[in-house]
Amino acid sequence: MSNAPLSSATASYLSYLLCSGCGKEYPASQVHTYCPNCNSPLLANYNLQGVQQNCPRAIFAARSRGLWRWQELLPAQSAADYCATLGEGDTPLLPLNNLGEQLGLSNLWLKDEGANPTGSFKARGMSVAISRAKELGIEKVIIGGKENTARALAAYASPARLSAHIYMSDDTSASTVEEIRLAGVKVELVKNLETSSAGFWEQSNLDGQFNLSAFREPYQVEGQKTIGYELAEALNWALPDVVVCPTGHGTTLVSLWKAFTELEALGWLESSRSPRFVAVQARGCAPIVKAFDAEASFCDYWTNAHTIASHLIVPKSFADQLILKILADSQGIAISVADEALQAAQRQLAADEQIAVSLEGAAALAALYKLIQKKWVQPNERIILLNTSRK
Amino acid sequence: MGNNVLYIEDNPDNMMLVRRILESRGYRLLEAQNGLTGLSVAESQPIDLILLDINLPDIDGYEVARRLRRSSKAALAHIPIIAITANALKGDAEKALAAGCDVYMSKPINIRELAARVAGFLPE
Repeated sequence: MSNAPLSSATASYLSYLLCSGCGKEYPASQVHTYCPNCNSPLLANYNLQGVQQNCPRAIFAARSRGLWRWQELLPAQSAADYCATLGEGDTPLLPLNNLGEQLGLSNLWLKDEGANPTGSFKARGMSVAISRAKELGIEKVIIGGKENTARALAAYASPARLSAHIYMSDDTSASTVEEIRLAGVKVELVKNLETSSAGFWEQSNLDGQFNLSAFREPYQVEGQKTIGYELAEALNWALPDVVVCPTGHGTTLVSLWKAFTELEALGWLESSRSPRFVAVQARGCAPIVKAFDAEASFCDYWTNAHTIASHLIVPKSFADQLILKILADSQGIAISVADEALQAAQRQLAADEQIAVSLEGAAALAALYKLIQKKWVQPNERIILLNTSRK
Repeated sequence: MGNNVLYIEDNPDNMMLVRRILESRGYRLLEAQNGLTGLSVAESQPIDLILLDINLPDIDGYEVARRLRRSSKAALAHIPIIAITANALKGDAEKALAAGCDVYMSKPINIRELAARVAGFLPE
């Protein structure tokens, strides 16, 4: 297991796990997945008052780069002993000056999560979740997912000496499967696997393995929320006005919301404005958009899901109710975009800004065009587009 | 409109969870542990809504739904059917809806969603 340059004198302020659905609390010292009372995602809660008293925000900026510099706000109680890291986090926040000028937006940025070690934001979540799993004494982990998930699992689980098992669709490229297997992960190919969010392995096949699938455990969100800390820090402890998140499972949207909520509670923000969240989905798989437009509190399972942005194929997120609540509470919006618009936006980012993004990341720019048409964004607003992965 | 819900499910943990959810909201739950028993209960008892697991030990939930829709008991042609499955394969939801189910839900069952969906058909 690799170690971050962390001090053993610092420790996590993790306090308890809270159900996002029914509000029931669970001890953080025990292994929990999702809420057994109502089957909603659990979220980690911290003693923020303790952090506020003992950790001025300036100390985090003085530490070595990477997400583990926020260790008091991460769940590994002893990060110095259990930190599985490849240097993830502190990804670039790139100004989109050329595009901004064309679009009449003076404050347009792209947070490039493709710069993470395994090429996607999943590296953040996996670093923290694997570290916490190791600390909790978990020996076997399981997940269902696509390439970005598999690469992150392979990169972090094997060095941590965890037995790792992934279900992938049988149309995954042979080279990807080989890459994952070489890293020591057991890959099981499933015919017609549609989504890692559904859990056909949960009951009969789980066999003591800790399920790392999206929102099935509380710790990946903790790694991903550091995107939000970095954004606030880079913006001089103010929050953006608008955050545009490509949304499959919705982990980045929930993670950013959680980060901003914690920062506000810590009293670290210089302004009280809260961002409006935008969930972007592909037109061929847009359950959040459909539910948002209908003012529903949960999603219908999306049938016949299809899009060229394969990571956006999630017919129903396990956190759909939480995502919809965040959108409503933040006065946000959900937008769907056509595949052709994804491709055009991907080309435009490359041509105008020389930035290569995934089709999923390009969805954020494609959605921005729609938001401008709707006059939903204003010229001087601080707008963040999130590129979730390199490809 | 009555409040009798039939749950066709072979997993006792799921059965217990759903019983807790629905009985606390005033519904009466009838149980069947396999598809054929479920069909028999649906045809012989007054039922207002059916929760249907897809992976059953005898005939699968798709077949149960198709037989319910073709039943000689006229009320079953239009009775609300909520399919509940742990499957994650392309086409499962489409197959459930094509077989005659009205709604498709995936496990684990979110209790607030299930309660809301049942109440949508059978107001508490």
